[in-house]
Amino acid sequence: MAVALGKRKREAVRVGRRALSEEHEGSDESESEADMQEIFRRHFEARFEPLPEQPKPTEEEESDEDDDEEMVGKESEWEGLSSGPEDEIEVVEHALNIPGGDGEETLSKKELRAFMSAKPPSAVSIAASSTLAPGKPTEDDEAGEKVNLKNDLALQRLLSESHLLDSSTSTGPVGKNRHKATDLRLLSLGSKSSILTQQKMPMAHRKGIIAKAATKEETRRREAKEAGVVLEKEKKKRRKGVEENRWRDRGVGGPSVGKFRDGALVLSRRDVAAIRGPSGRGGRGGKGGRGGGGKGKKRGASGGTIRI
Amino acid sequence: MADAPPSKPLLFTGAKSLSTRLILSTLTGRPIRIMKIRSTTSSTATGLLPHEISLLRLLDAVTNGSRIEFSMTGTGLSYAPGLIVGSGSTTSTSSSTGNRAGVVRHEVPAECRRGASYFLLPLALLAPFAKTPINVLLTGPGCITSATSHGDVSVDTLRTAILPLFARFGVQNNIELRVLRRSNPGAGGRGGGGEVQLVFGHQVRLPKTLHWMHPGRVKRVRGVAYATGVGGAMNARVIETVRGVLNPLVPDTYIFSDVSSAPFVAAAENSRGGKGVAPQDKKKKTGIGFGISLVAETASGALYSADVASPPAGGVTPEDIGRQAAFQLLETIEQGGCVPKVAAETVLVLMAMGSEDVGRVRLGRDVLGCEEVVGLARDLRAFGGSGWGVRDVDDDGEEDGRGDVVVSVVGRGVGNVGRKIA
Repeated sequence: MAVALGKRKREAVRVGRRALSEEHEGSDESESEADMQEIFRRHFEARFEPLPEQPKPTEEEESDEDDDEEMVGKESEWEGLSSGPEDEIEVVEHALNIPGGDGEETLSKKELRAFMSAKPPSAVSIAASSTLAPGKPTEDDEAGEKVNLKNDLALQRLLSESHLLDSSTSTGPVGKNRHKATDLRLLSLGSKSSILTQQKMPMAHRKGIIAKAATKEETRRREAKEAGVVLEKEKKKRRKGVEENRWRDRGVGGPSVGKFRDGALVLSRRDVAAIRGPSGRGGRGGKGGRGGGGKGKKRGASGGTIRI
Repeated sequence: MADAPPSKPLLFTGAKSLSTRLILSTLTGRPIRIMKIRSTTSSTATGLLPHEISLLRLLDAVTNGSRIEFSMTGTGLSYAPGLIVGSGSTTSTSSSTGNRAGVVRHEVPAECRRGASYFLLPLALLAPFAKTPINVLLTGPGCITSATSHGDVSVDTLRTAILPLFARFGVQNNIELRVLRRSNPGAGGRGGGGEVQLVFGHQVRLPKTLHWMHPGRVKRVRGVAYATGVGGAMNARVIETVRGVLNPLVPDTYIFSDVSSAPFVAAAENSRGGKGVAPQDKKKKTGIGFGISLVAETASGALYSADVASPPAGGVTPEDIGRQAAFQLLETIEQGGCVPKVAAETVLVLMAMGSEDVGRVRLGRDVLGCEEVVGLARDLRAFGGSGWGVRDVDDDGEEDGRGDVVVSVVGRGVGNVGRKIA
């Protein structure tokens, strides 16, 4: 019903406006202004409700000067209509949402710098957002997870350090044992040497310790031999300065033999020998080879090297 | 690799998508042979053009053991790719000192009409598969950093809209594109005098498999307006117009302005002149103009871009450039999909070079149907890749398919030969 009413009203309004605009054909400016207003008005009416008839300003000067008054007049007329029982007027605000106008405030300094730096800008934001991507765990979950983790760690420690605990202390290692426990943890985390070994001492002191250890070992072996006990094999004495782990860590993806340098695989003489195996004559030096006496001389001359 | 039996070269004809074929050849290790390069189109300019020869030189610089042969007339080319070594090998003399990260300095000839992105896009595609980091300085009297009329994007678009896509393949560290000196196309669209450095320090064994099904909605627009050798007011006018179009649609619009002086290059005529010519007389200003690069980012990280630069002949107002750029951006957004046309080749090639797994990406129908992408699909097929699977998004029961298409690409699983465990 309301729709029909509105249509009827619009027709009336249109006719009225056209008549008015025809009256004021005298000046170009007022004409174009009227047209524009007409367009806006028609658009508004098409979307919402017909506007009430307004008094057209009779003179251009008046319209310019008395803009405020006219607004007030419109305002009062609106009031009158909306007070009617059926007319519900919808208020729509069209406003650009630009805080500060030129947008300078919308960008943080960090973002500014990120965009204009040499790096591709959103690589950073993607990385940052991907870390946040997994759904937020609830507080209960988080708390439970924490407790679980804590218990887990405590159990692991108890298992690995239980030999340090004596009967009197049950909650955890104390005193000297606490230091030992710490040392164990550090070692398990990848520490190269124990914190309990003394780093610095007088040379005579150290020599004494080494000599003492050597004699102790020597007497143990001698006594075992005399008693006919078989001991573990003696470790070979390494050259000075050669580490226990003397092979360099080759990393992942590197060649298993040789070095990759300048786009080419470089094999040292030793690498080649290792690949060829012991079949080569005198490959490992020593007595090798099945040759007779005649070849012995030659072997001595080549001396275990392979020419490539 | 050197011991591998030389396989028969793949045969191609025509000058179209030369850079794509060269890149695919280098990545897959298949030698190629291209015949009839502009042999019939024109009687004056047959054979390879300066920018294509320059690209071949650049490929030669970053690879080791490539063989490039031209025919007598320049209409035939045979290319046997080598290992992509990156920039490390060029300073082989200093390799003993441990400083292996050299910079390849690539001089672009003055007759070049293509932008710097013509060289940088293929290079960025090779870089993840190189043995050492890629560090290339594009310079010389032909280096144009702005967009060109041949469809090259500006280096700003390359940096802000294409390089971020590598992060989706797990390639995101140590990537930089430094614009050291800006330049628009010089007189007649020839030459520039800019300087760009591409640092690509993230090499991978295999790029990650991509699954990208939801483009999302545009949440922000960023851009760079550049003016070289003209007043900064040009930038302001371009930005004003662009914001006039885009602000009602996306309030979060911000466009940076970069004003720089015109680059000097050695003048070709005077450089052979007498001894009495002063050094400054031997140089001339070039590459004057302005332009704008716009990037729209969606909620899921899709990047749509637009690029317009003033023509070298001049005569176009900044307002027109700005309006063109804004409309071009809107058109690109309208085409839809997760990847726009300019980045489609990069994404699809990276997918094809990925692990032996099916990657999926959603493309706009117009993007998939354009000549370059169809040509790329055929070329990939020729290089031994498997075909693409194509189906409508709407078949998945999505309401807002917008006619987009999901392309499934199976990777070849070849990846980085230089990073293989020997």
